[in-house]
Amino acid sequence: MKFKTHISIKDLNVWYEKHQVLNNINIDIPDKKITVIIGPSGCGKTTLLKSFNRLIDLQDGVMVSGQVFVDGENIYDEKIEVTHLRKKMGLLSQRPQVLPMSIYDNVAYSPRIHGLKNKKKLDELVEHELNEAGLWNEVKERLSGPASKLSIGQQQRLCLARGLAADPEIILGDEPTSALDPISAEKIEQRFLDLKNKYTIVLVTHNLRQAKRLADYVIFLYLGNIIEYGKADEIFKNPKYSKTKDYLNGKFIEEHKIDKELNLKGTVCPDNFVKTKVALEELEVGQVLRIIIDYEQAVIEVPKTIEYEGHKVLEVKSINRTDWEIIIEKRNDGEI
Amino acid sequence: MDKRKIEENIFKGLMIFSTFIIFGSIVFILVTIFLKGFPALSFDMITKTPKGGYYLGKEGGILNAILGSIVLGLGATLFAFLISVPIVFYLNLYLKRKSKLAFFIRFSLDVLWGIPSIVYGAFGFVLMVFFGFGASLLAGIITVGFLIIPIMARSMDEVLKMIPQELKEASYALGATKLETAVKVIFKQAMPGILTAVLLGFGRAIGDAAAVLFTAGFTDYLPYSLFKPVATLPLAIFFQLGTPFPEVQERGYASALILTIIILFINISARMLAKKFNKNIVK
Amino acid sequence: MNTRKFKDAIAKKIMFSFCVFILSLAFLIGFILYQKAKPILGVQNLWQLLLSGKWHPTTGQFGMAGFILGTLWVTLIAVFIAVPVSILTSLYLSEYMPKRVKEFTKPVIDLLAGISPVIYGVWGVIAVVPFVRDYLMPFLSENLPFFPFVSDNYTGFCALSGGIVLAIMISPLMVSVMGEVLGAVSFEMRETSLALGATRWQTIKFVVLKKAWPGIIAAIILGISRAFGETIAVLMVAGCSIQEFPKSIFDTAYPLPALIANTYGEMMSIPLYDSSVLLAALILLVVTILFNIIGWGILFKSENE
Repeated sequence: MKFKTHISIKDLNVWYEKHQVLNNINIDIPDKKITVIIGPSGCGKTTLLKSFNRLIDLQDGVMVSGQVFVDGENIYDEKIEVTHLRKKMGLLSQRPQVLPMSIYDNVAYSPRIHGLKNKKKLDELVEHELNEAGLWNEVKERLSGPASKLSIGQQQRLCLARGLAADPEIILGDEPTSALDPISAEKIEQRFLDLKNKYTIVLVTHNLRQAKRLADYVIFLYLGNIIEYGKADEIFKNPKYSKTKDYLNGKFIEEHKIDKELNLKGTVCPDNFVKTKVALEELEVGQVLRIIIDYEQAVIEVPKTIEYEGHKVLEVKSINRTDWEIIIEKRNDGEI
Repeated sequence: MDKRKIEENIFKGLMIFSTFIIFGSIVFILVTIFLKGFPALSFDMITKTPKGGYYLGKEGGILNAILGSIVLGLGATLFAFLISVPIVFYLNLYLKRKSKLAFFIRFSLDVLWGIPSIVYGAFGFVLMVFFGFGASLLAGIITVGFLIIPIMARSMDEVLKMIPQELKEASYALGATKLETAVKVIFKQAMPGILTAVLLGFGRAIGDAAAVLFTAGFTDYLPYSLFKPVATLPLAIFFQLGTPFPEVQERGYASALILTIIILFINISARMLAKKFNKNIVK
Repeated sequence: MNTRKFKDAIAKKIMFSFCVFILSLAFLIGFILYQKAKPILGVQNLWQLLLSGKWHPTTGQFGMAGFILGTLWVTLIAVFIAVPVSILTSLYLSEYMPKRVKEFTKPVIDLLAGISPVIYGVWGVIAVVPFVRDYLMPFLSENLPFFPFVSDNYTGFCALSGGIVLAIMISPLMVSVMGEVLGAVSFEMRETSLALGATRWQTIKFVVLKKAWPGIIAAIILGISRAFGETIAVLMVAGCSIQEFPKSIFDTAYPLPALIANTYGEMMSIPLYDSSVLLAALILLVVTILFNIIGWGILFKSENE
């Protein structure tokens, strides 16, 4: 692939506690293009995204090795000023996170903390960025109103405007449209297409159709490994690997590394419940538990109730006519 | 280094300093009490009752106060336990999570928790006079019991709130009534938390002085009747420190050390118990 | 109806009656104290009692202004010390301290809250009073010879000593309430601010504190009300002789709770004496209930939002 590189990742490994989330990642992200990261949940997409602006540093128990170069500078270098690095990259998270202040102050937040005080300049900047995000006409009458009163779609566009006001070079989006209604999502998508000439954009998404609409380049990530990376149309039309093909066709890719197993065949209500809770309690972060069960009601009910304190049900499927298996991973300590 | 960095470092420094003050103060308190109290501590102090003239510097010990505090603490804890448990179970089993009544009960427990112990003391005193008995162990137990109900009930409530709804439902689904669920399932589940709450209440009951000042009185005898005054450790410390004699004041420091050790012991065993039980408990 | 159901119904009734009892306990305490305070209120006007500084039980004068001012003075000093320290500490614990270390701090804070008031008093007598007498007072009154540092009380048993001891006593409560309030601010909110290039301190200043301030105010209110009612420790270190008006942090102070505690031996002997002391308890009750309602009200409200 030939392009101008903006972000370059070399030998990146990330661990949460003992669990390796990202495995030897080596990629170059092109300048002023939209790169989309796809893959099943839990494969490390968000971690990869957040390693670009070192937001993963904030989580307890994270270890990072390797290098990430942005504009030729290694951001994991100890000398790097992390706040300037983050200013370079706007982040849109899954659910829009407005700050507890007015619409105006939200947009002006970043310029202000970086020292801009001139009222006139701020006014111009706020108007300009809100325009860029396609929100100006909807909010110009109530700039001093609380941002939390906006609709969720508007909030996400406000977050975009806020990110743009920091004068970034890169926009990171962590499934930025997943919490939005289709119309709001489309507005955000449209913004991305308009903005891609000025900014390098990296998006994580679950939505394959969205990936097809937006992506110039696609990264397919699976269990912390990059399976395939290349031009979007090539990957979508003609994936090289079977896993990519399966994923694009909506097939489930199995192959979980099982650390512990719990057989609940033949147990009944309070007993199996208690045993499950004990097993979940003992599960350490990063471990995967396989529960075998022969009670159909439980198969429907259980996944809803056991996803607590950072547990995540990876898969529920039937093994044979009577037995089912549920596969659960403990992701974190339930904090995040 | 830019201005933001400097500001950050100044405030971080202030924060570390404040944290050091808070955590340093507890070390400071414990060390002071130990250094001052240990030299004056003797075997007599914990095995003998005050002889005549103890408060003038003569022989004796404060066994009366140690035992008195323990008996009063146990009584008050039992009294508060018997009142708190039904309330907490009612809150968590019979009322819905968003119920107005539950809100008001929790709210008034919190407010009661904020009422100073001297006010409980005055309240107990008035009740005592009204019912026509003098300062006594029973009056002390009831007064201190009222004082620790909110502490106990609120910390038990926090534990019961954590019990998953599904566990209760599992019990109901087997045909158990709410009472049976409470006694057979919830009580066992919440045991460590309940024990911790009880120990917290006990620690508070032993340490409080203002509430027993009016109601429990003071005596040189060991506790022997519910209707007679009883000595308590905090008051013994208070009185010994109030005398003009240095040797008695020193005994006061030693008594303070004894009280500190008792409270430390209760606190630490509360933690240990909670930890030990937590392992066998389904969350 | 079978016996199991019957038992359940009975238990429910009993539990309910206990709840009613708890709901009415504060009113009951208030009512009983009011009954006992009535005699003095029948003879003298409440405002007169609150605003007059003349306290001479033997001649029938029960003006409580001196004690009320004493309470306010000591509380003010305690709050002045404890509030910044508690806010900064809880910020450090929630924003900077690694989670593993943090788990270890909570039991220590709880222990600090669980130590007996008498122990605080003893510590005050051993450590704080001599420190104030030998170092703080000579230093401050020489270098800053004006209000509120001038006093002719050289014993060290003074409002400042009481305030220092009280400050340490109310800090654990404030730190743990503030800790919960700060913990309720979402991780994503902080992440958002940091992602925009803010430093940690800027994130605290512009986002975390902005979100958490009602809860912090509530914590302060609860701390103040705790300081109002604290008795024994203050009684042991604040000197407790009557002052008309606090003129210095080194003057003695005689707060209301200390008055109540100090008079228990003699109050039945003089007419109206017991009534006025129980009126003092009633005042304390009303004020602390009011503060607690406001404080907990704010906390419950922000929790529900």
